[in-house]
This record gives sequence, structure tokens and C-alpha cells, in this order.
Amino acid sequence: MASNRLQKLFDAAGQNSLSWLLVLSGLIALLVASPLLWIGQRAAQVEPARGFELMVSARTAEILVTSLGLMASVTILSMLIGVPLAIVTTRTDLPYRRFWTVVAALPLVIPSYIGAFAFVSAFGEHGELESVLGMAMPNIQGFWGTVLIITLYTYPYVFLTTRAALLSMDASLVDAARTLNADRFEAFRRVTFPQIRPAIAAGSLLVALYAISDFGTPAFMQTEVFTSAIYWEYGAINVEYAALLSLQLLAVTGLVLLLEARVGRDEDASSGDSRGSQIRLGTWKWPTMGGIASLGIVTIVVPVAIFGVWLLRGTGGATTAYAFELEYALNSMVLAVLAALVACAFALPVGYLSARSDSLLARLFERVTYVGFAVPGIVIGLALVFFGSSYLSFIYRESIVLLVFAYVVRFLPQAVGNIRTSVLQVDDQLQEAAKTLNASRGETFRRVTLPLIAPGVVAGGVLVFLTTMKELPATLMLQPIGMETLVTLIWGAHGTAHYRYAALPALILVLISGLSMIILLRQEDSDLQ
Amino acid sequence: MGTAMNRRRFLGATAVSIGSLTVAGCMGSSGEDPFDDYGPQAAAVESSAVSWDDLGDLEGELTIYSARSQDQIQPLFDALEERYDDFEIRDDYDDEDDQLVSLLEEGENSPADLYYTQSSGELARVKAEGLARELPEDVIGAVDDNYRDSDGQWTGASGRVRAIQYNTDEFDAEELPDDIFEYAEDERFQDIISTRPNSGTFRSFIIAMIEAEGEEATRDWVSSMVDDQNATLYNSGSQQAEAVANGEQQVALGNQYYAGRIVGNDPDAPIDVTFTNNDPGCLFNVSGVAILDGENKKPNLAAEFTRHVIAAEGQEFFVDTNGEYPVIDGVDYVGELPTLEEINPLEFDLNQLSDLEPANDLLREEGMM
Repeated sequence: MASNRLQKLFDAAGQNSLSWLLVLSGLIALLVASPLLWIGQRAAQVEPARGFELMVSARTAEILVTSLGLMASVTILSMLIGVPLAIVTTRTDLPYRRFWTVVAALPLVIPSYIGAFAFVSAFGEHGELESVLGMAMPNIQGFWGTVLIITLYTYPYVFLTTRAALLSMDASLVDAARTLNADRFEAFRRVTFPQIRPAIAAGSLLVALYAISDFGTPAFMQTEVFTSAIYWEYGAINVEYAALLSLQLLAVTGLVLLLEARVGRDEDASSGDSRGSQIRLGTWKWPTMGGIASLGIVTIVVPVAIFGVWLLRGTGGATTAYAFELEYALNSMVLAVLAALVACAFALPVGYLSARSDSLLARLFERVTYVGFAVPGIVIGLALVFFGSSYLSFIYRESIVLLVFAYVVRFLPQAVGNIRTSVLQVDDQLQEAAKTLNASRGETFRRVTLPLIAPGVVAGGVLVFLTTMKELPATLMLQPIGMETLVTLIWGAHGTAHYRYAALPALILVLISGLSMIILLRQEDSDLQ
Repeated sequence: MGTAMNRRRFLGATAVSIGSLTVAGCMGSSGEDPFDDYGPQAAAVESSAVSWDDLGDLEGELTIYSARSQDQIQPLFDALEERYDDFEIRDDYDDEDDQLVSLLEEGENSPADLYYTQSSGELARVKAEGLARELPEDVIGAVDDNYRDSDGQWTGASGRVRAIQYNTDEFDAEELPDDIFEYAEDERFQDIISTRPNSGTFRSFIIAMIEAEGEEATRDWVSSMVDDQNATLYNSGSQQAEAVANGEQQVALGNQYYAGRIVGNDPDAPIDVTFTNNDPGCLFNVSGVAILDGENKKPNLAAEFTRHVIAAEGQEFFVDTNGEYPVIDGVDYVGELPTLEEINPLEFDLNQLSDLEPANDLLREEGMM
């Protein structure tokens, strides 16, 4: 009876029928936002006058401007690289498109702090290239150096989301526009762009939040941004000040999330056959391939070559402390797989609801899950150190539960965004059809919707997997005592100049992540068949 | 069917891995303090340096938070584990700042029995927060007064001096000033000098300068370094030393062992260290240990472990492996660096290093972060 009534509620009330999902989404949003309580509580401990002084100081203003500039520059550049790459790898007759797609997506698997190091030791002043070529190279550092490095290692977010949208959009629309005498540019502006705009916005949002929360790269480049100030206050053992600065960072994030929610508002995207007519590149295919190849060489081949050199030459001191064990790679993978599974389980209700419902609350809950991505890992890590040691001492630093939770808090939006986008693209009529065939709502979801959004779920899971493999600060703070992973070994060996021991785990990290990236791309391709 | 099987097998494998991770963890946390007494299990340690042979056998499991890097401390842990079959160390590593804020956040709930860190400022902070336990009398008596807490709540394990690292292609040691203030004024160092403001020993150095020379002089030094000398501010000691070795920078203020690591790998690297004389620039600082106070801890085992650290073999380890100075009279420094008598570091109560606030405010105001 009860289920019958529930059923009626679902069927009759349309949007309102999603109320139980709303409750579930709300609980998930609350759970992943819970570490913010700790930030607020610590920030409240700052003496108000002192806090005000800190927040409005010239220095805070300066780093705020730098951070915003960094975020804006990285985001714009990522769009300028990511969107054209997505177009040429989906809509043109570029030879070996699959290969170039993998090349264009791969930089995401390289942790940007390692990328920065490799990049500068290769191309920078006094780098390898300078000693090979014998000519002076530019000094890559400061603000623009930071912008360059973060862009090179995060633009794939834009590339991947845009590519997915292009693949699932009905390409025959463009042909229709062309027959109506719209030129190519006009057709792109009026037909293609509006369809892929939410995807570009979604990818750019991840880039923007990554750029503002990254610590390693700006620190390496000696650029002072919000995260450096937060880290500095941690170092000065002023956790309260660090929390206050984190709140300011969160305020900026809130604005970005609002902005993106407006730009990325989606008309229900249509899906259809992606095999419309292709743009013929002609001789342009050579510079195009050359461009992607140089990007791949700079971002992937160079770091991998540098790790290879460390390994073969035995660069850095010898020690027994950083010997590699296979178990470290397994630990990294188990953690990343679990984080991906839990993130997908959390992201499904949140992403599905926010795509299906017009309710403001649904949208709010979805936005809340992004907050963790914008907060530096050390802040989330320390919040969970407090919660764990105070209330969960029986698992604290003993099991991986809290660590996996930290990863989910940090990386959930990558799954939410992908799932939301794929739900938006499911044709409503299919679900109506299922309903007329007397399928229950659950059955419709299981047999119609879920198979259709599966590629989005997998894509989200793979992104969570990739970023978890790279995560360092929360891992160091929350991993069970005595446990080692690939990144903790890289951190230990690299930080103490024992480079040869960092090389092997770094290569394995890139290999595992690279394979998972190929799974992601194949998945999206096969979805088209 | 095939896929279902595979999926199940995969999930099963995952469950096993999680299980083993969790079980391994739980087994580690169980276990009582193997000893009943905080005092010596066999011989007491003395300033004349006793041997490991005379100390009580270590047994059980000891959980250590270490802000010293693995290469500088793990060989000692390994040697002890090898020597005592029933003894195991659960060691946890992180950057010094992250680890200290974690420990303070955990308070008495910390799973660690013992805290092992890079510089006395952090030890003094743990003491100030009431998390350290007074050390056993024989340990307090064995260590030189200058190298431990005057209330006996922490002790140094090894000592080191802040140094000037320089590129030997660009400078001879004789050309370099032995007064830290000249490094902020001499135009030769403009654009080619660096420091690392995020390290514990750097903060200690600033506190020592405020104590010894006054706030005004310290503020001048900091602002001259930032504004006149355009000092590069590094975030990593290795990166800083490497910049000197490859000629990107020429002079770097920091700990001497970073240069040591580079020369250890490449004896021809053009980097060497020199010291200032009797000023904060050659501040003597210790790495050291505090036994943590709280429920479910193993203070007696931690105490006997600490005895091993300040016994002869422990002290010789620091001299041999890390090129550091011993904290016990009975062990001599042997190595390439000048002896402490030659360097003549400032006399300084290391406990004063716990009050970071004035130094932090000054650095924040002058923009050296």
C-alpha cells in the first residue's frame, strides 16, 4: 500500500516526487560539507579586531588579487586550449584522432607539482635543454610561470567535458544550419556553442577551483597566493588565522560557483547521432598535429624522460629509506578505487536530482559538493584530524575510512558534474516510454536511465580515481600509521633530493593513471556505437 | 555472467585489501606498555655515553610521529628493530608544520607515543600545550643543559648550526662576511641570495635575532633582505640548495645538510658551507624528542627508546649519517665541519623559541613569507 501511494506521488507530482532524493542529496551535501564546521569554529577563535586587521590588510588584498588573476588566467587559457582541441579531435578529419585524443587528455595524470619541477628542470634557466642547446632559456617562475604550468596540467578538464558534449550532441543540427546558408563560424556560434556551453563551463569550473586551491605549483614558482598564506599560517602554528583565510577563500569560491551556475545553465541538451559531416582540415592537419604533439612532448614526454634519467643515472643520494615496494602501488590503487566508488555512489543522487529537478535546493546541494574541491587538502585534512581523533579514535590513523572520506570530500564534484551532464542528455521521451510500458520508477531508472548515464558515471569515477592517486597533503595526515603510497614515497624521496627513488613510483603513478585515462576515453567512444 | 564473476572477484579482492589494511592497523594499536617502570630498565644513561649493550632490551610496538625525514632517521629505527626481535616501530612522517598542527589538533588523543622533530621550537610548543611528559631523571641528567628543556620536558637528540651555503665558482669562503647583518646590506648579494622562511629553524633564527639584537634591528634585517637584496624565498630546502649548486643563486641561508646531500651525490658540485660568528646566523638548534602525555600511551617504552637515542650508538649514528653534532659529552663530533668551539654559536635558551608570535607578526608585516 505504502509503496503504491509513493508510486502515485511520484507519478502525479512530477518534480515533487523527487523529494526523497532531495533528502538524500541534502544529507550527502551536509556530510561532505561537515569539515567546514571545523573551519568556522577555528576561525571564530580569532580575536575579532585582529581578524579584521588580517582580512583587510594590504597583503591579504595583494594575494587576493594575485589568486583571482591566477584563477582567471588559467581558466581562460584552459578554455583556449581545451575547446579547440575537443573540436579538432571530434569534428574534423584529423588522422589518428584516437591517439591525439589520448595525448590531449594525458597531462591530467601528471601531478602538477611534479610537472612543475620537471618542466623547469628541462626548459628553465640552467635546465637540461639549456645545457644541451647551449643557449639561454627563459627563467620560468613567478606569476606567469605558475599560470603556464597549472594551465598545461589542468586544461584537460575543459577538453574532456567539451569533448563529451560534442560527442553526444546531435551533429546533424550543424549540417542543417549549413544548408540554411550559415557559414561555419555562424553555425558554431548559433548551434554548436549553445549546446556545449554548459560542458565548457563545467570543465572550466574544475580548472578554476583547482587553480585557486593548488599550493604546490605556486610555492615552487615563488608566487604568493591564498594557499601560500594559508600554509604559512599553518607553519606559524596559527591554525585560527589559517582557518580565517580559508573562509575568505571559500567566499571567493562561493562567487565562482554562483557565476558558473548562471553561465552553465543548461537548456536541455539534445542528444543524437554525432556523425554529422566533418570539417576537412586539408593542409591544416599538419600544424594541428604538430601543435598537439608539442603539447604532449612538453607535458608528458619531458617529465617521463626526466624520471627515466633519474632512474638510469641514479640521480640523488643513496639510501635504504626510500626503497620501492609493490605494496605501495597497490595501496594507492585500492584507495583510489574506493574513493571513486564512494564518490560515484554519493554523486548519483546529487547529480541526478540536480539535472531532473528545478528546485533551488537541489541546485544548492549540488553546488555545496563543489566546496571541498576549492579548499586546500591540508585544510580538509586537518579538519578530519580533529574529528577523527576526537570522536572516532578507534579508526583514526588505523583504517583507511577517514582518508577515503577526505578524498570524497575533495574530489566529489568531478563525479557530480559528469553524472549531472549525462543525465541532462538523456532523452525525457525514453523515460516516458518506459512509464507507458508500466515500468516502475525504480525499474525505469535501472533499465533505461542508468545504462544511458553509465559512461558519465564511469568518467566521473575515473577522474576521482586520477586525482586521488595524486593527492598528497590529506594522505600524509590521515593515512594509517606506517602505510606508504606512491605519492608519499615520491614526496619523501623528492623532498630530500633522493631523486632516483622518486622516479620509479612517479613512473608507475603515470602509467596507472594513464591506463585509467584510456579506459575513460574508450568508454566515451563506445557509447557512440 | 563472465562480467558478473569478474566484478565479484574484484570486489572481493578489494574487500580483502581493505580488511588487511584495517587489521594491520588494529593489530598495531593494541598492546600494552611492555614495561612497568619509567626509570631505566637496566643501566641508566649518563653524560659519558653508555652503550646499547647496557640498556634494557626494547620490546612491543612504539608509535612515533617523525618530522625528520626518513633518510635521516629511519636507518636508526631499522637498526633498533634489527637488534631487538620483539620490537617494532610504527613511524609516521609528514612536513614539520603539518605534523605539529596535527599533533596539536589531536591533543591527548594522539595515537603517537613519542614525537621526534627537527627543531626545538616545535618541541617547546608541544611542551607549552601541556602535551609533553617530564623525561626520566637519568635522561635529563645525561644531556648537556644547553641542549634540552630546562624543565626536562624534551631533550635534543642531535644538534646542528645554521649555515651560509655558497657557490664555490662565485665566492671563496674568505670573501664572505662572518656577520649575518652584512648579508642584508652588502650589494654583492643583491638578487643572488635566498632564504627559506617556512622552515622551523628559520623562525627560530628570527626569534633568536629578536632576543639578541632587538626587534628594530631584526625588522631592518628582514626588510633589507626583502626590499634591497630582493632575496628569493624558497619553500623547500633542497630546491634552495640546488639553485646554489646550479648557479641560479649564489648564496643561501639555511641548514648545512642540504649542501651535504648535494655534495654526497656529486662531489664536484660547486657548493660549500661557511658560518657566521657568534650571532643568530649560526644559531645552534637541536632535533629532539618529547614523550607524549595522554591515555593509552606507552611512556615506559618511549623512555627506554629515548635512552637508546642518547646512548653512544644513537649519537654516533647522527654524527655519521647526518653530519650532525652530538648532545652528549661522551661522544665526539668527527667530520668535515668545523667543531662547535670553532663556530662559536650564540648562547641561547632554546625554550625561548616556542613563542613564535612576535617573529610571525614581524615576518608577516615585512612580507617575508
